[in-house]
Amino acid sequence: MIFNRFARETRRCVVAAVEEARMLGHDSIGDEDLLLGILRADEGVAAEALSSLGVTLEGAQEESEGMLSEALSSVGVSLEEVRREAGDAFEVSIPDERRIPFSPRAKKVLERALREAVRVRDNHLGTDNVLLGILRNEDGTAVRMLARLGVSPEMLEERLYELRGRAAS
Amino acid sequence: MDEKTRTRVGGPEDPREGLEAVVALRRTLEALEAAQVENAFVAGWSWARIAEVLGVSKQAVHKKHAERIRDRYPGEPPRRKGKGA
Repeated sequence: MIFNRFARETRRCVVAAVEEARMLGHDSIGDEDLLLGILRADEGVAAEALSSLGVTLEGAQEESEGMLSEALSSVGVSLEEVRREAGDAFEVSIPDERRIPFSPRAKKVLERALREAVRVRDNHLGTDNVLLGILRNEDGTAVRMLARLGVSPEMLEERLYELRGRAAS
Repeated sequence: MDEKTRTRVGGPEDPREGLEAVVALRRTLEALEAAQVENAFVAGWSWARIAEVLGVSKQAVHKKHAERIRDRYPGEPPRRKGKGA
């Protein structure tokens, strides 16, 4: 699709997002996995903006698990009990041979990111564009994950523009 | 019955929560199936017997789990005597 427009950091971020999704047992790559991908690839102003607001890969992974656990307990299932019952063999990760597609939300994020990159005439679609795409999706899982970590889209966007301004000057 | 289901599962007041619970259950179910099939394999159960309890065909279980499990247990798995295929 639009991968040839991606900056190298963005390609790394997408590869890392796929790995995160696989590890977390997501059968599609969601917008939250793209966020985790940015953190895991740890390159560029997007990663810098996130870490400057105290968002770490480990913290975000924990929230992801917390959200899964809460969703399960909303229907009366305890992740802990399932885990205990199944023993050591229980792991949510998806085997390497199974392909995982992008979710509609993640696709939308990447399309938005591309539009944003074109609008500001970036030659390449950077992870900052991806992060902006993620933030524009207020209903997305990533935005709610960030909220749980005490970071609002507004805060993050502001920090991103600050850092981008500094990088450009 | 419809009313009961509604109040117990997810709740119509927040459809997203209900839908996300479905996703969470699906993920957990997949992981649980993989774990329990592995546990059964390690305990020496044949694919046929595992499939029977799961209520699916032997081919289906084999296709979904054999490669992953064999990768994890190269050679003869513990307590397994090679009965069944």
